[in-house]
Formats: sequence, C-alpha cells, structure tokens
Amino acid sequence: MRRSLPFELLRYAMILLIIAISLVPTLWMLSMAFKPIAEWSASGAALTWWPENPTLDNFRFIFGQSSSELIVSLERTAARPIMASLLAAIVGTLIAMTAGTAAAYGLSRFGKGNNLPLALIQLRLFPPMAVMIPLMIMWSFLGLIDNWFGLAVVYGIVTLPFAFWLMKTFFDDMPREIEDAALVEGCTRLRVFAVITLPMMRPALASSALFVFIMNWSDYLIALLLTTRDWVTIPVYMTSLSSSMTGQLYGAKAALGLIAAIPPVILGIAIQKHLVRGLTFGALKE
Amino acid sequence: MNGVSVKKADIAVLPQDNAGSEEKRLGFWLTLPAQCLVLFIAVFPILMQLYISMTDWSPLDGIPWYRAYELWIGFINYTDLASDSRFWAAMWRTFLVMIVCVPIQFLLGLGLAVLFVDEFPGKRWFYSTLLIPMMVVPAVAGYMFFLLFQSGGPVNDLLSLFSASPVKIAWLSDPSLALVAVMAADIWQWTPLMFLILLAGMISVPQDQQMAAVLLGASWGRRFFTIVLPRMKTIIIIALAIRTIEIFKIFDTLYIMTGGGPGVATETISVYIYKVTQQDLIWGYVAAIALAILIVLSVISAIAISKMSKGANAR
Repeated sequence: MRRSLPFELLRYAMILLIIAISLVPTLWMLSMAFKPIAEWSASGAALTWWPENPTLDNFRFIFGQSSSELIVSLERTAARPIMASLLAAIVGTLIAMTAGTAAAYGLSRFGKGNNLPLALIQLRLFPPMAVMIPLMIMWSFLGLIDNWFGLAVVYGIVTLPFAFWLMKTFFDDMPREIEDAALVEGCTRLRVFAVITLPMMRPALASSALFVFIMNWSDYLIALLLTTRDWVTIPVYMTSLSSSMTGQLYGAKAALGLIAAIPPVILGIAIQKHLVRGLTFGALKE
Repeated sequence: MNGVSVKKADIAVLPQDNAGSEEKRLGFWLTLPAQCLVLFIAVFPILMQLYISMTDWSPLDGIPWYRAYELWIGFINYTDLASDSRFWAAMWRTFLVMIVCVPIQFLLGLGLAVLFVDEFPGKRWFYSTLLIPMMVVPAVAGYMFFLLFQSGGPVNDLLSLFSASPVKIAWLSDPSLALVAVMAADIWQWTPLMFLILLAGMISVPQDQQMAAVLLGASWGRRFFTIVLPRMKTIIIIALAIRTIEIFKIFDTLYIMTGGGPGVATETISVYIYKVTQQDLIWGYVAAIALAILIVLSVISAIAISKMSKGANAR
C-alpha cells in the first residue's frame, strides 16, 4: 500500500523521536563509564553530556588498578563476579536446556494428557520471592548458599519453562515424517532422536539456549538472596560497589553496568526472530 | 523441510501400535528430569512453606527449621497479615504501578506497531534498535535510571533547558516523585516487549479482508478498529497478561533505584517481602505472606492460562 509523502515523513519523525528517547538512558551510562571522576558531577558541578576527557580509568579501577584519581583500591575486583555470573548462567542454561529439551521432545511426540506444560507456565507466573524462604532453608541445609552451583541449579529451574516451551514449539513445527521414515527403516526411537532430530534442531537449540542464557544472566534477585560474598554475580557486586573515601563510585558502577549490559543486547539482537515465541511461551510464532 | 513432502495421512499407515509401550516408557524417562526439578522447586518447598507459616520460626532462633513446631502458632501469621497495613500499602502500590504502566506500555506499543506494520526503508535497523531496552539487564536498567534521576542528572538538566531556570528536583528522595521515576524506568524497559508482541500479532492479521475494505472505501481508522483490532484480541490479552504478571513481580529495577524508599514510598510487594526476609528475619511470617500470594496467583494464573492455551489453539 502506497502512502503519501507527508505520512512517510511523519512516520520517520516519530520513530526517530522514540528511538532517541529510548537510547538516552543507555548512552548516558556509556558516557558516565568513560568520564574521569571530576566529571561524575554528583554535586554542584555543571553537567557534561559527553566526557570531555574520556578515560578508561573506571574500567581499570574495577579490575584492581588504581589511578591518580581513584587511589582507593578495591577489596575485591570485578573479575570474580564476572566469572560467577558466567559460570552460574552457563551451567543454569545447560540444566534448563537438557531437562527442557528432553521433556519437550517427550511431550511433543508421545505426551498426551500430561500436566507438566501447565505446571511449568505456573512456575513462571509465580514471583520467585514467594518460594525463597523454603529455598534458602533447603540451600543452606545442602551447603549451596554462596556457591555457584547452587545458584546455577536455581537458574536452571527458573528458566526451565522457557527452555521447555521454546523447544516444544520447535519440535511441534518439525515434520514427523522424517522421523517416521527412519523408524520404518528399523532405527530405535532413541537413535532417531540422537541422530536425526537433534542435528536438525541445532539452530533451534542454539537460539533457545541463547534466550535462556540472557534470562539467567539478567537475574538479580536470586543472586542477591543466595550469594553473600565469594560467588556474588555482577549486579549484586555492582550495588555493593561504593567506598567510604569516594562515596558512590558512579563511573566505576557505570563501567561495570556496561560490561553486564553488552552480552544480552548483542545476543538478544542475534535471536530477535525467536523473541516473540520465547516470551509468549510459543503462543505466538514470529 | 529438505524437500520432504509426505502427507499427514501417511502416518496412520505406519506400524506404531507395537511401539506403543516403548514410546510410553521413553516419554516417561524424557520428562523425568523436568518433573523432578519442578517437584524440587514447587511441591516440596510449598509444603515446607505451609509448615513454617504456621510457626513463629526465624533463622535466628537457633533451632533448625524441622523443629519449628516448637514455635507453633497456628493461623496467627495469616490473621496478622490481614491487618498488616504495610503489606496492604505495598499491595496497593504494586497495583498502582500496574494500572499506570500497563496501559501506557500498551498504547505506546500499539502505536509503534502501527508505524512498523508495513515495509519501509530502514525498518529492520529501527526495529532492532527499539528492542535494546528490553534486553538490558533489569538491574543495570535500574542503575541507568538511578543516574538519570540524580538531582544533578540529565533529567533535571533537560527540564532546566526547557523551563530556562535551574531545576533541582530530588526525584528519588521525594516520596511522591520516586514512584514516578520507577514507573518511567518500567515503561522505558518494557514498552519494546509490548511493541514486539503486538507487531507480531498485527502482521499475522490476514490481508484479504483489509484489501476488501480498502476497495469498499473504508477509512484507515475504520479498518483498524473494525478489522485489525478485533482480530488481535487474543494477542492483546496475552501481551497484557504477561506485563501485568511481570509488574506484579517488579523488583530489580526498583530496588536498585530506590531500595523501596524513601521510607516505604516505593515499596512494592516483592520489595516488602525481601525486606521482611533479609532485615526483619521473621521467616514464619514471610512464609505466610508468600503462601497467601501463591494461592491468589494460582487462581488468577489458571484463568490466564486457559485464555493463553485457547489463543494457542486458535492459531
């Protein structure tokens, strides 16, 4: 449908305006991350929109190097929280994907009248806050508090509904005729799954895993409750980052925030085709 | 896929009956890990929750949780809850954020979807850029808005620019404005989600009826309200349901921006539970709150799920 020129101009104007607004918060943090301490402007000083003397000091600082301005040194650097975030998110993704893919295949092919799918949606609807008391008791009983594995197991369970529903819609979409042909040839079900179905599902597995990884990486509340010191993740570490000498370390926090924000944005754009499917539990495809 | 074009009808011919019991067994084993995990996080903890909610137990008491029966108080926690004004205030605040944010996100998302529904140069690029906010880690988004709303921050700077006089509003420490800042952050982050879902729904509305309406001379507005919107009903319900549920759980962004403060001015239900858990440490009471919320949500979610699965079947 052709639309008139004024309409097209209006459309671009509106889109550009909204994009500008939606980018401001991110760009402001980006700008803060590269500002030297004098430009943080927590008090009185005039606000500079873009760093006048861009510096990498904030990044150096969170990794333990003090500079002429930030002479305080950190008790703990950001290296370990970054590792904790990665480890918990990756292992959590593996748990969710393994259990989720197996269950999705089982239910997509021979599950009738099973109530697991609905139980999984319900799981997603509940606020994690609401099961935290028993979880904290169980985890401290098992010695899993402040332990990357304990965190990864919870992540795996919390994102299991997404892994399951994404994979189930992908399995449902896959033509069964290929599998049936192999079955007629005399393959066992398990062999068909391992040799035919899984390789065909590789793109689907990859996008589902990335989706689940983003979810795990984005967590704050669970890590806040289940980690205390050695295995705090990036967001928890970020909130604890302040020092008695400089007060709020705005720039250093912004640098850390940037490090935390980049992976999901890149991965999210890479799998944007499947975002709708994942976020609506497969109710909507594409 | 790969040029395979076997008709559905052929499946019925395959000898599947003898494989029936093997398949059932395989189905059982494949779903077992997921079943166990759900059992582990849902069933067992909820029973434990029920038990602890009947006691006055706290981790500071020095007795292990399984001996909490020594502090049995029955339903006192639940009756306390009914008259806990801080709880109801937090509930109301959560509800307020919901009724302000969900409609705004919906209208903005719908408007954006209208702008994006047909092809135009640069569409892909704009689309990806618009999705960025929803992919930012919520805790980091909270920190972004914490920075924006500082009294010497960009929001005040812009306001000063427009009003031509220095504006020094202390957004996050003013009880009446802090909630506004929190809502702004939520709207910023989750409008893209509404947009994404509504656009997908709008694109899937069949073109033929719209074309017919165009030929009959129907105006754009008429087509939109009588053809497109009614066809999107299920998708709209799904989008609204997802955001309503997620806002009920709102924690990360808000907690980093204000910590629930100043005072209790931005304390939503999750923040309230968190504070009672971490600071007051009355876990018996927390268990009662959490269980009460779980029961109420179960009822609501049962309704939402039946809507959603109806939507999935309709497609």
